[in-house]
Amino acid sequence: MKYFILNLGCQMNQSDSERIQAVLQQMGMEKTENEEEAFVRGIVACSVRQKAIDKVYSKIYEWNEQKTSKNLLTFVSGCILPADHEKFLKKFDLIFSLQQLKDLPDMFRQYGVTTPFSASLEREEPEFSPLMGGFWQVKPQYSSPFEAFVPIQNGCDKFCTFCAVPYTRGREISRPSAEVLEEVQNLVKAGYKSVTLLGQNVNSYGQDRPGQEMTFAELLKEVGKIGQREKADFWTYFTSPHPRDMTREVLEVIAEYPVLAKQIHLPLQSGDDKVLIRMNRNYSLDRYRAIVTDIRAILPKATLFTDIIVGFTGETDEQFHNTRLALEEFQFQMAFIAQYSPRPGAASYRWEDDVPRDVKKSRFHELTEVLLASSLAYNQSLVGQTLRVIVDKPDRKPGYWSGRTEGKVVVRFPAQEKDLTGQFVNLRITQVVPLSLEGELIPEYAGQLSAL
Amino acid sequence: MEAQRQCQVQSVTFITPETFILRFSREDLTFQPGQYLSVGLAGHREQREYSIYSSLTADFLEILVRVVPDGKVSRQLAQTKPGDLLAVDGPFGYFLISEAQKQKPFLFIATGTGLSPFHCLANSLPTLDYQFLHGVRHQEEQYGYAEFDRSRLVSCVTGGGGDYQGRVTQYLRDHDWLPETQVYLCGNCDMIYDAFDLLKEKGIPSSQIFTEVYF
Repeated sequence: MKYFILNLGCQMNQSDSERIQAVLQQMGMEKTENEEEAFVRGIVACSVRQKAIDKVYSKIYEWNEQKTSKNLLTFVSGCILPADHEKFLKKFDLIFSLQQLKDLPDMFRQYGVTTPFSASLEREEPEFSPLMGGFWQVKPQYSSPFEAFVPIQNGCDKFCTFCAVPYTRGREISRPSAEVLEEVQNLVKAGYKSVTLLGQNVNSYGQDRPGQEMTFAELLKEVGKIGQREKADFWTYFTSPHPRDMTREVLEVIAEYPVLAKQIHLPLQSGDDKVLIRMNRNYSLDRYRAIVTDIRAILPKATLFTDIIVGFTGETDEQFHNTRLALEEFQFQMAFIAQYSPRPGAASYRWEDDVPRDVKKSRFHELTEVLLASSLAYNQSLVGQTLRVIVDKPDRKPGYWSGRTEGKVVVRFPAQEKDLTGQFVNLRITQVVPLSLEGELIPEYAGQLSAL
Repeated sequence: MEAQRQCQVQSVTFITPETFILRFSREDLTFQPGQYLSVGLAGHREQREYSIYSSLTADFLEILVRVVPDGKVSRQLAQTKPGDLLAVDGPFGYFLISEAQKQKPFLFIATGTGLSPFHCLANSLPTLDYQFLHGVRHQEEQYGYAEFDRSRLVSCVTGGGGDYQGRVTQYLRDHDWLPETQVYLCGNCDMIYDAFDLLKEKGIPSSQIFTEVYF
């Protein structure tokens, strides 16, 4: 029996999907990338943008049309707004929250679908934690052999006005640190080179159980100790932190342990205090500036990434200009710049989307130019340096591979080796353009590879 | 943040035709003055955020709700009766006063139901040195004043009949404030924007301005 899963949205959804797949495979199902041959078809939904929600509706319409000639079972999970939840009940055969994942075999059985696993009434049930209904105890089916995403938290308590996550994923719940550390340790032992700790506000980790759970800095420290204990070579990232909860302690821990990657993704969203108020971000530009000053002082080699929204409701030319000035000041190595679009369920969805599309577009291009300039300036400073790189995949250019530095800057390099995927290599940087580098394997390392 | 609770409605008291105080059981919920709750009817998926109106010491919780004409949750809450169950999440929010701030002078500014967190703050922390500017359109919206130290409260009523006739921002403009004043603003975004500009003009740094916008 084959299944097909359509993942929509962010890394968090990708990670959730890996756990859903693990349960389906435990039930004896086989994954397929070809939905036409799948009897079970599911969607891990995303409600961040209307486009993603529309995709769910169009896909289930298509699948339901096929039901006249095919036997299909459909399900949906992931980030679902309350209003869509009611509608999905009528369109999908099954709808379940992540907390209900452990009940999936029973849902299948009640639906009349039996597999050797779901038919077994005497199977031994593991003891599930009350947190997230045991969702995090499911061992995921990792989609990469060298890069893994480890959820440390679910939900969000920040209520940014442009975002619907508090309404789709609910309140912040921290995964028990013992589970997080066990998963990281297992990944490291299995040779994983890149581990990303995931959550909507990773640095508020533990705040839902103060005094009973570690802080984010303490959790990072324990990951650092795993690196020391295992004498392992890997980089640990986290995404996304919220500026309000960023502490010097977190930065000092990152500085202390080599396995904690020197890369910080710190969403700014806007460089104007009034827009930040309207976004309900709960920090000022001065507060953000103070964090960046700490990052530069404590982690001088760290790259700094950010998220920006242009054209948010009511954003004036002057307010946008302040964001431009902030980008020029902070010299980000990467910025994910989005043109504002109202997200159903978010508070701002009720407000007039009053910045014209062409103005948003022009602001987007203006900031992109600033980003390209700061990225190029940084990349030029790397020319001639030897950098450690994780190889991700063969590059589109024949004979080249693509990887990324510890700071997550993309590097291309020529190599004739059959498969370098997931390996660390040392490259001398030879050429740069904005947002990417080109390098060559340093001779001694190239020699080592050919000797393998 | 603690897990979702079911709280029992104790009373619904209308203080204007559109505004009411919803009182419900506390169920051991702990919070800090200035925080808010996410509240809806038990068994319904829709919830909205409301600042806590009641004080830390009360053995019940209260929120101040304005009925939004096309609002789903506020209209549902307005129709609740004693004994009905509410789904309550929280507390949330950062509209808080730290220990280090407590000895400093405070200026609280609110419009309409933005009074709610200040009602909680003033009643929970009675030693605070504060002045409270409350802006409303009409005299009958001067609610909840009995629980404030009246000498610290200035009602700014645009329609006349308050302590001051005009907007809170006009009052702000016409008076001087100590440079170390900690300013807390709660209410609609337009008022907060105007006040923010005025405060900066008057030399209050943004690090001393705290906001809770009602959307």
